[in-house]
Amino acid sequence: MEFMSKKSPGQVENLIHSEVLAQRARIEILRMTSRSKASHVGSSLSVVDILSVLYSEVTNISPSTVTAFDRDIVILSKGHAAAAIYSVLALKDFFSLEWLNNYCTDGAQLGGHVTSKNVPGVELSTGSLGHGLPYGMGIAISRKRSKSDGEVYVVMSDGECDEGTTWESALIANHYKLNNLTVIIDRNKIQSLDFTESTIALEPFTQKWEAFGWDVLEVDGHCHKSLLESIQKQSVKPKCIVANTTKGKGVDFMENSVLWHYKAPNENELDNAIAQVKKKTP
Amino acid sequence: MRDTFIKTLLAQAKTNPEIVFMTGDLGFGVIEDFQKTVPDQFINAGVSEQAMMGMAAGIASTGKRVFVYSIGNFPTLRCLEQIRNDVCLMNNPVVIVSVGAGYSYGSQGYTHHALEDIAVMRALPNMNIYIPADSIESKKLTEYLCESNSPSYLRLGRSGEPDITRDLKISTPNKIIDIIEGKDGTILFVGPIGIRVLAAEKLIRKYGKKVSIASVPFISDLDLDYLKAAANKGPIVTVEEHSNRGGFGSLILETLNSLGLTYKVKIVASKQLNLSEIGSQSFLQNQNGLDEDSIAYAFMSCLES
Repeated sequence: MEFMSKKSPGQVENLIHSEVLAQRARIEILRMTSRSKASHVGSSLSVVDILSVLYSEVTNISPSTVTAFDRDIVILSKGHAAAAIYSVLALKDFFSLEWLNNYCTDGAQLGGHVTSKNVPGVELSTGSLGHGLPYGMGIAISRKRSKSDGEVYVVMSDGECDEGTTWESALIANHYKLNNLTVIIDRNKIQSLDFTESTIALEPFTQKWEAFGWDVLEVDGHCHKSLLESIQKQSVKPKCIVANTTKGKGVDFMENSVLWHYKAPNENELDNAIAQVKKKTP
Repeated sequence: MRDTFIKTLLAQAKTNPEIVFMTGDLGFGVIEDFQKTVPDQFINAGVSEQAMMGMAAGIASTGKRVFVYSIGNFPTLRCLEQIRNDVCLMNNPVVIVSVGAGYSYGSQGYTHHALEDIAVMRALPNMNIYIPADSIESKKLTEYLCESNSPSYLRLGRSGEPDITRDLKISTPNKIIDIIEGKDGTILFVGPIGIRVLAAEKLIRKYGKKVSIASVPFISDLDLDYLKAAANKGPIVTVEEHSNRGGFGSLILETLNSLGLTYKVKIVASKQLNLSEIGSQSFLQNQNGLDEDSIAYAFMSCLES
């Protein structure tokens, strides 16, 4: 069995690596969804900073340690943001960038929702919401009981908090004091058909998690420094980071729009979007 | 059957720390000894079947052999998608254990009857289904499941069922062994309903016919040699305490059909005519065509037609 040493904490002052990664991943996400005419570009752009920080600055996972017994675990429970995690993993050399070119095509390795089968770095196939947290909680309790290292990070959408399993898990993780479990919620405030607060209101959101016994932090989900600081904060309880984000972040005509939960950019929109992303200096 | 399961599992868990037992807050009077003896291998997930099943899959992904225990439909239908995605798709070694097969909890009402579970679990890829007829098969299958490494479903009755089977060989749990041998045909059954099948066999004998009786404790990898021989010998009647849609009988029909054999099969299963009927297990079996007279009639009518 392969074990690995803990990665030293990332340098809060120097996050250029994760910011460059996120910028490049945004471009890949736009290309992938445009080429394949796939949905969920907005969801992918809102979560990509969180994933970039996790894979660049926080976790000890690398292409050579994807099966290490005590590796940190990242589960992207909002499996519809597949383009985001695939872009980040490919840019981090977990697999070839070529795979991104075939995204959602016949016989491709990578589809529109996250699959773990033969995709290095992906821990759980997701797509139906509300599955990642219970699964991650299982890994966390197993590790806690066997006193093995490795943190568990579950990245969820805010719409996913409509699912009953979210709150079942919120109860259970608190009861078993799973302080090796961190939930990061991509709080972009838009779900499938409308804004979360017009659909099934989540607010007061942080207070709900606090009432369930979690250590709750609210941060700017596009600020890598804030994300990293909140992730690295020690806690004796399970931790919930509400990362306030903007759906479609980085492309003005996609931002904060339900439309871009579904629509894929056409060629003109793609050129415009990539130009906007490139213009921003990390 | 339930007690045999938990005793067998505890005996295994004492020497195998990789075994984890989870309950959805059920098992009063049954699970306490396990909880006290190996507390680090015991988890009560509360009344949260969906989170429990996802969690079980996560635990199993860390190399544990997880047994998830509940009653009736709670560990199957209530958390079906967790089984489908987190257990079967991910091929995690979770054993789902449901106590109270069929009408075991008869007087508790339809919400507590498990009558569609075989059909539903059969539809899932990678899922292996085990249905012991008595404590002999329960013990052997539990021991087998502690060692195996696949998503599995163990369908248990309740307690107090008489032992009727012969010693199952743990190395080949799919081997079908006749409890009674007969030349005129075969009755195959799953689960403790076998006791009523044996009563039916006595009636059939009174009519001068001899029928083979066999339990089929592992239905996901059928003993094809046995089935071929049975189809050649005469009619086959299948008996299950389950709905007549998509269960064990349907499986036998599909299997014989795929073998390209000529066969005569009759399915004895619950007709589910009145879902709200209240009564004991045997009363509800009688009301739904699972009594010995109905089983014997099904076989005799096959012979005559």
